[in-house]
Amino acid sequence: MFRILLACSILPAPVLADVVVAPATIILRGKEARQRLLVTETIAGKNIDRSREAVYSSDAPKIAVVNADGLVTPIGDGVATITASVNGQIARVPVKVIDGAIAKPVTFERDIEPLIARHGCNAGACHGKARGQNGFALSILGFDHDFDFAAIVTEGKGRRLFPSAPENSLLLKKASGQIPHGGGRKLPAGEPGYETFKRWIIAGTPRTPADSPKLERISVSPGERLLTFKEEQQLLVSAHYADGTIEDVTHLATYQSNESVYASVDANGKVKAGPLPGEAAIMARYMEKFAVVNMMIPMPGEVPAETYTKLPRHNFIDGFVWDKLKQLNLTPSAMAGDATFHRRAFLDVIGRLPTPEETRAFLADRSADKRAKLIERLLERPEYADWWASKWADLLRPNPYHAGIKAVFNLDAWLRECFRRNKPYDHFVRELLTAQGSTFRDGPTVFFRNRRQPDELTTMVSQLFLGVRLDCARCHHHPFEIWSQDDFYSLAAFFGRIGHKGQGISAPISGGEEIIFSQPTGTVQHPVTGKVLPPRPLLGEVMDIPPERDPRRAFADWATSPENPYFAKVIVNRVWADFMGRGIVDPVDDLRATNPPSNGPLLDALAADFRKNGHDLKKLIRTIAASYVYGLSTLPNERNVGDSRNYSRHYRQRLRAEVLLDAISDATGVPEKFDAMPSGTRAMQVWTVRSPSLFLDSFGRPDPNQDPPCERTSDSSVVQALHLMNAPNLQRKISADEGRIAKLAASDKPVPQLVEELYLLAYCRLPVSNEQTAAAKRFEKTGTTKRKAAEDLIWALMNTPEFVFND
Amino acid sequence: MASRKNCEGFSRRDCLQLGLGALLGGGLAHTLRLKSLAGESSAPKMQAKSCILIWMDGGPTHYETFDPKPNAPSELKGEFKPIATRVPGGHFSEHMTRLAGMANDLAVVRSIRHDQGNHGAGNHYMMTGAPPRIPVGCGAFVSFHPSLGSVTSAERGAPAGLPAYFSMPDMSRSGGPNFLGAKYAPFVVSDNPSSADFRVRDVALPRGLTGERFLERCDQRAEVDKFQRFLDKQVADPAMALDEHYVQANELMRSKEAQAAFDIAREPERLRETYGRNAFGQRALLARRLVEAGVPFITLYDGGWDHHTKLFETLKKRLPTWDQTVAALIGDLKQRGLLETTLVIALGEFGRTPQINKDAGRDHWANAMSVLFAGGGTPGGQIVGATDTKGYAAVERVLSPENFASTVYTKLGIDPGKILYNQQSRPAHIVSDPTPIKELMG
Repeated sequence: MFRILLACSILPAPVLADVVVAPATIILRGKEARQRLLVTETIAGKNIDRSREAVYSSDAPKIAVVNADGLVTPIGDGVATITASVNGQIARVPVKVIDGAIAKPVTFERDIEPLIARHGCNAGACHGKARGQNGFALSILGFDHDFDFAAIVTEGKGRRLFPSAPENSLLLKKASGQIPHGGGRKLPAGEPGYETFKRWIIAGTPRTPADSPKLERISVSPGERLLTFKEEQQLLVSAHYADGTIEDVTHLATYQSNESVYASVDANGKVKAGPLPGEAAIMARYMEKFAVVNMMIPMPGEVPAETYTKLPRHNFIDGFVWDKLKQLNLTPSAMAGDATFHRRAFLDVIGRLPTPEETRAFLADRSADKRAKLIERLLERPEYADWWASKWADLLRPNPYHAGIKAVFNLDAWLRECFRRNKPYDHFVRELLTAQGSTFRDGPTVFFRNRRQPDELTTMVSQLFLGVRLDCARCHHHPFEIWSQDDFYSLAAFFGRIGHKGQGISAPISGGEEIIFSQPTGTVQHPVTGKVLPPRPLLGEVMDIPPERDPRRAFADWATSPENPYFAKVIVNRVWADFMGRGIVDPVDDLRATNPPSNGPLLDALAADFRKNGHDLKKLIRTIAASYVYGLSTLPNERNVGDSRNYSRHYRQRLRAEVLLDAISDATGVPEKFDAMPSGTRAMQVWTVRSPSLFLDSFGRPDPNQDPPCERTSDSSVVQALHLMNAPNLQRKISADEGRIAKLAASDKPVPQLVEELYLLAYCRLPVSNEQTAAAKRFEKTGTTKRKAAEDLIWALMNTPEFVFND
Repeated sequence: MASRKNCEGFSRRDCLQLGLGALLGGGLAHTLRLKSLAGESSAPKMQAKSCILIWMDGGPTHYETFDPKPNAPSELKGEFKPIATRVPGGHFSEHMTRLAGMANDLAVVRSIRHDQGNHGAGNHYMMTGAPPRIPVGCGAFVSFHPSLGSVTSAERGAPAGLPAYFSMPDMSRSGGPNFLGAKYAPFVVSDNPSSADFRVRDVALPRGLTGERFLERCDQRAEVDKFQRFLDKQVADPAMALDEHYVQANELMRSKEAQAAFDIAREPERLRETYGRNAFGQRALLARRLVEAGVPFITLYDGGWDHHTKLFETLKKRLPTWDQTVAALIGDLKQRGLLETTLVIALGEFGRTPQINKDAGRDHWANAMSVLFAGGGTPGGQIVGATDTKGYAAVERVLSPENFASTVYTKLGIDPGKILYNQQSRPAHIVSDPTPIKELMG
């Protein structure tokens, strides 16, 4: 077996091959300089990493040498040429060595902080956590050099370093494991990192001069790469300084893959593709900078180009999806049938099942544009508002035990009204974020009753409307983003002047009325420096907001402006995920460079279209539902079976708790009763998740006892199976005298029609003939009655996945 | 089928509790049940048939439970006094009176430490024996690796008609099956066994439905189910997970053993009092009944140990009842001869800071924690490892969550070094460091 594998890995003689070494030229400054080489062979347009197989040599070993791994190091000043040979082909790279015999001074910021970060000493789990580890605290990931310098050099009366005998420094003894260290052996004595640290102590622990060149960015090569299954690719990370110097920091960077199933990365920056087609974003971080490269692993084999050109394109969505499928060599599933599409559209657009009459009419309709017309009809249905408002209620609606019943009821009513009027999304957000007035009369003000502090509002608003998870930056620099505490509290400053008058929170009743208003004063301070921070949007400039103007208005202007890079993307991604089963960015509210979209051009195009259409949610829904892609079947084919991110097929979703309960009530004709709601209320219309319901709890509605409320779960469970089979309430619905099943059974409908009706009620499709035959036999069984047989059939139908899932 | 009348003849409450168990006996359950894996050659000798994991959610303070530091400076040592046990050096906190009295049956490990100082990550590390793969936050409910209970469920299999893994009243954050699949998720009993009308919801048939008709319905359900399943694992078809859940649900309903195990009302009143007439106490008693029924893993999820504020005020009330329940459980198991084969463990995400904060609380502290072990072949009367004099760091016999998890698995007869394969056929060791804590292995 092993031998066969080896044999397979030997490639045929190269055709049109070409070998390139990166970087193209090398300048090594100082004795410790180093540069790793990346050797790439191109065979018939495909790049292959040959860094490990290449044979290296230097033509001037007194100037520079290269080891078997392709690591070039200086010996003396001058110029040399390094040769890499692969499969008989040769590539050369010139090397210039400057001050090759001179050890550069080791300084704190440039040399020591990267070592600390590389070994994870300042990670959130170790000395980087707020109170440090064993009394030794470092700033998380080295974002605060002054703090770290003080911690290492001066704190603890300097006991961590011992300049007269550097090896005896507590820090080195611990880091090298010579005395017990909870973090283990990080810098073994004698290794380069240890030596660097020691030299720094001997030199008197110098700081990096303030005027020395700043680290501007890091880059990773190669850029985007196509990999075959199990293929490996070494990354090269370069640090670019303001003076134009470039240093190889591959050995000092840390690495992480966002989808290690598709491509994983090891601690040395070697990427390895997995056994499945897909994509992964590999993040490299060096100091406070990070860079991301995408690795794409296409499905093996060839798909003729015309396969993609021939695919239907109903609108721009289809083109972007087909482009992506083409890159990955995936092909889309077939079109879903009419009944499946009909049920899917009802569930997705208005959150309920179609009635038998509606299904019959749709199936009988012979017009070519009946799917588009269906979407139009659904968008005008009254259920639309409750369904979409209920999704926003998950995100915005407080626990009434905290914010008060009347206030929460009021907010709930406002949400529903917004969707009834199809309020443009930017207006909706602006109204919410700038709300003023009474929590008893002005629904959106309740948002500010529930979330009262600038910092909690910042966390929530940035995640909901910008898809930016700033919460980390509340306490420290965001570990894998660009956001600092400065950014966090500058954003919080927009919420620093909110006034509350009246009765505040007095759980568990919190019944009072409160007035929310904008006051002329109020500031937000940086929690560490104590500095008062003026309002500044993310990536923007400080705003000067006069006392008479509500800073929240300025925030809303910025958030909803066409230039805002996040606003439209987050909402189109949310709605897309609702329809397609998974967000282009997943999770839907986590937009960041290190969590890239599965289809960036599609996300951009959806956002642009949404802005162009005046932030009209119904138009967005129409666009998504009109795409050919939305109508695909869930049935995978052999070329998309592993795809769960690129929409080559539709993805099944379990019906949400409320939708499923309403579906059961509709099918049985027995409405559910909810506390303090008029009879006939649908689950979708209930104003709080506090309303008791075993059914809704079992099927994973948000848990209101958590604050913030627990997210909705979409998994299935044994409890759900037991509940659907045995819940007394569901049994009652099936067998109620006043229910639909009893009435149908009592009618003069012949059995085949009765069976057809039940299939339409639950599955929203007509039964096929052997289903009819099987059902008929059950009706004829001795001892049964028409009513009992009908009850049993609807029970059976409701306990199968065809009922429980949106296919 | 003659016994069908039994169901109708019973009282309403009995009927609800009994479900179909009385009707069918164990036959079908046996045919449906998950087969326990034929012994791997490397599987260690089983010491514990069952494990009861008492999860003290929030991270219990080691100072006020099993690692008091009477000689620590006043800003650290807190309000509670230590009490001696019969184990030399084995002082417990003063509210652990009953457990202190049975220290000969207990082993306390004081030197487990890790580096995950928030709830999401700490829960993951202790519930699975694996650190979270990427940084996670306090609020996170994450799973990167199967939990102790789920692995046990997969490796040991279920007893007749009962799930192999129970969690009451909640599933802990990372207590799920991860790549092992929904089949090995815990069966969560959220109902309160302390209440008079306790029944395990929906396990019993609704009123007015005979067992015979239910079986016919099930038969018809199989007949109408034409929904296409996507069998390839890569598709991750959620309908397949639902199927698993129906299999498990049916098995549970049809099990006489399950119904009997749930019937806590059969316990004598005196014993119920001994365990404590509260939800936690009665859940512990229910756990013992499940052990008797052969369930290999039961998690008792006990929330509210995150004492950032008013630690002493709160624990003064909390610890005595906790002590009562845990001592009652261990004592009861012992008295029935079950302790030898039942491992009882109590722990949380981490310990808590020696430094008392401004709100009279202690904060998260992963650098030291105490874990209680009893039974399952654990030599009692010992303290394993130690923290420094101020309780900051584990300094003697420094042990990891991996050592902890490996101990539990080894006792349960599961090789912690075994390789499992996830859905993408990628290998993962059950525990990356499969070394159990030797002092506990007997």
